[in-house]
Amino acid sequence: MKVGFFVGCNTAFNRPDLEKAFRYVLPILGVDIDDLDGQSCCPTWGTMPSVDEAGWCALGARNFLISEEKNVDMVTVCGSCYGSLAETKNKLDTKPELREKVNEMLKAIGKEYKGSTKIRLATNFFYNEIGIEKIKSALKYTLEGVTVGVQPGCHSLWPSEAYLEGEKDSFHPVMLRELCEALGASAPYYSRVVDCCGMGGMRSTNVEASFKLVKTKLDSMKNEIKADLLVTGCSSCLIQFDTAQAPMKKDKKIDYEIPSIHYVQLLALCLGADPQQVVGLSTTDMSGILGKLKKIN
Amino acid sequence: MAEIEVLNISEGEVGFSDEIMKLGAEELLDCIQCAKCAAACPMVLAGFEFFNKRVIQSILIGQKEILLDDSSIWACQACNRCTEVCPRKVEPFGVIMAMRRSAMKEFALPTLAIEGLKSLYDVGHAVYFSNAGENRKKVGLPEKAPTTANNPQALKELRILMNKSTLSSLGIIPMDAGLTDVTCCEV
Ligand code: SF4
Ligand code: SF4
Repeated sequence: MKVGFFVGCNTAFNRPDLEKAFRYVLPILGVDIDDLDGQSCCPTWGTMPSVDEAGWCALGARNFLISEEKNVDMVTVCGSCYGSLAETKNKLDTKPELREKVNEMLKAIGKEYKGSTKIRLATNFFYNEIGIEKIKSALKYTLEGVTVGVQPGCHSLWPSEAYLEGEKDSFHPVMLRELCEALGASAPYYSRVVDCCGMGGMRSTNVEASFKLVKTKLDSMKNEIKADLLVTGCSSCLIQFDTAQAPMKKDKKIDYEIPSIHYVQLLALCLGADPQQVVGLSTTDMSGILGKLKKIN
Repeated sequence: MAEIEVLNISEGEVGFSDEIMKLGAEELLDCIQCAKCAAACPMVLAGFEFFNKRVIQSILIGQKEILLDDSSIWACQACNRCTEVCPRKVEPFGVIMAMRRSAMKEFALPTLAIEGLKSLYDVGHAVYFSNAGENRKKVGLPEKAPTTANNPQALKELRILMNKSTLSSLGIIPMDAGLTDVTCCEV
């Protein structure tokens, strides 16, 4: 099987260790990667969607066209890219007038959107396409005794109609919890599991307000399940939890730190990747978790 | 006691809700102010003044200036919790986006949004660090990512599309006028 890797700006330029993790994991699980050369920003909310709907969808459609020409689905590790592109696709596939307008724009670059390929989020892809059993049988290390607080991320949950392989009940997500349990960790429910991380527009508009959400979420994770590790399904959530905790600690908003990692990075570690390459750019301290990886004989 | 601000709603801008509906909020008038959207909204939890329900109500009474003066609409996370729970299918997130499109026309947008659009036009990425190559090499990746940032032909295609969007008439960022009239296959 082959998929197109929709890498997204934050992963390619801010956290390439996450990109490296994805490129490490897929071949081990029997999936080939196409780079979708020439892909651009998805683009997300503060830019083209805030300008006009057709312009937003035209840029998204151009990305889809790269994968249509290669006849592969796109897979991304970024919730924001997934959200923007899945909404774009949903609009193009259900609003004929918009599709016509976008195709009119695409004519200028000699292209036409047909809608033959999908955008898929890495965690959903692992859950639905690879499967828990295949992941378990490929592991070199497990995480027994580690308690994980999961952060699925808003853009894999709502609007549920745009996410064709999403959760059965989007307000009670289970996929990321089960994927973490497949690695030997426990991933219990905590009351703020579907809360927002506060990244994106909120963090750039008012960082203090955004940190309020971070604190609410981390406190819930710490007090209710005593999480050793925070695992996200989204690169934006990863950047938020990985970079917000140091300044919050300094300002005495929290007196602890929960190391934060993307699921694809955690899976890469459990498949035997070099930590320098797949979590080498983490700001939160990974040494405790690395010490808990238990080799399978 | 804090002074109570009285709003004269007869001074609201006539035709404002029509403008917002045209900018993508087709179901605006179906809102019954039940507040389910507000109960789900992270902006409320974080303490922003103009969250989904209040933005809708302000639009309905024509309070354009108040909405333009407040930065709350730019803090919307696009999380779509509101769209998921609205019993009237108003798509409150779509209303916020329509409000942003109206604000764009008045040049009432944050600097970061301008920078994001400029970066999108210049390299094809709203988020871009020109020194990212070092970190990419450090983790064993090629210095250059295989995207518009390193693919001039792809970047040209993207710019042509941006020139065909509403952005070209807003004057928010400098754009290459020569790309506006491309009709077919000249790339
Ligand atoms: S937008 Fe929907 S959920 Fe929100 S107040 Fe109006 S009807 Fe209720
Ligand atoms: S999409 Fe925006 S308005 Fe709707 S719930 Fe999320 S943050 Fe609130």
